[in-house]
Amino acid sequence: MKSKNRGGSPWILLLCRLLLGITFVVAAWPKIGDPASFAKIIFGYDIFPAQTINLLAIWVPWIEMITGICLILGIWALPSLTILNGMLTAFIVIISYNLLRGHSFDCGCFSVGGSSQASDAVWLLVRDIGLLGLGLFLFRFYSPRSTSS
Amino acid sequence: MKWMGQTVGLLVATLVLGLAVNALSPKGIQWIGQWDTSQGVVTARAKDDAVHSDVEINNPMKVKEIVEQGSHVVIDVRLRDAYAMGHLPGALSFPLAEFDEIMDELMGVVTRTSPILVYCSGFTCTDSHTFAQRLRDFGFTGVKVYAGGFREWEEMGFEIEE
Repeated sequence: MKSKNRGGSPWILLLCRLLLGITFVVAAWPKIGDPASFAKIIFGYDIFPAQTINLLAIWVPWIEMITGICLILGIWALPSLTILNGMLTAFIVIISYNLLRGHSFDCGCFSVGGSSQASDAVWLLVRDIGLLGLGLFLFRFYSPRSTSS
Repeated sequence: MKWMGQTVGLLVATLVLGLAVNALSPKGIQWIGQWDTSQGVVTARAKDDAVHSDVEINNPMKVKEIVEQGSHVVIDVRLRDAYAMGHLPGALSFPLAEFDEIMDELMGVVTRTSPILVYCSGFTCTDSHTFAQRLRDFGFTGVKVYAGGFREWEEMGFEIEE
């Protein structure tokens, strides 16, 4: 695809895209294989209305998978980054909210059969903030405004 | 702007793809699950779901009565460590994880027509249902599941055996 960076190394851009894209593809795979377990993890967050839990369990892993693949391949990078950054922001808000109210939960980030502890939540938060940083960095390079300079 | 349209397009495409794969997958789930603990064990209602609400007893007082009367063989299917830390009075430990190895031992204490009550940790645990399903597959006819499991029993302040 067209390089729209302003002097940034295309290799760094590629590396960031691969890192973020592969992370989401790897995260999506087990959820797609076991939507019932992922739905139970969403229930465990104790935030979402009961009517939305199954649809989220069906939909979210495919958003992660397809946008991750788009990033890896470098197609539709801007829309993919928009969605991934939005999702990461939502994850950060949700994890922070549960941390603040002391609600323990299994994040189900990369597996659906694990037994994650609440103490891992701070680490999740740090990781998601790091990924969002990466996503925003990439978004800046791919956004239309950066081509006008 | 074009990319905003593409963003919406991606979201719609992933939803359609997700629904299509879910419809075709043997592990697919219904669009709306059972997430109300007052109705029993929660479940996404997958196609291969072991949860059958019709075999559940979702009333701790009723379970207390069963335990006190000794009318059912009560089976704790949690891991042995959890059982050792406390269980329903008179409950036997038959962990789901060891199902294949414990069948002979189990047949020593029950028959296929014995009234059996199975439980695990609580409303979010489906191991009791999986265990009950396997027993039914072996021809057992009197298997019930205590929906609230050990957590509800403990919260009710009922007697716990160690």
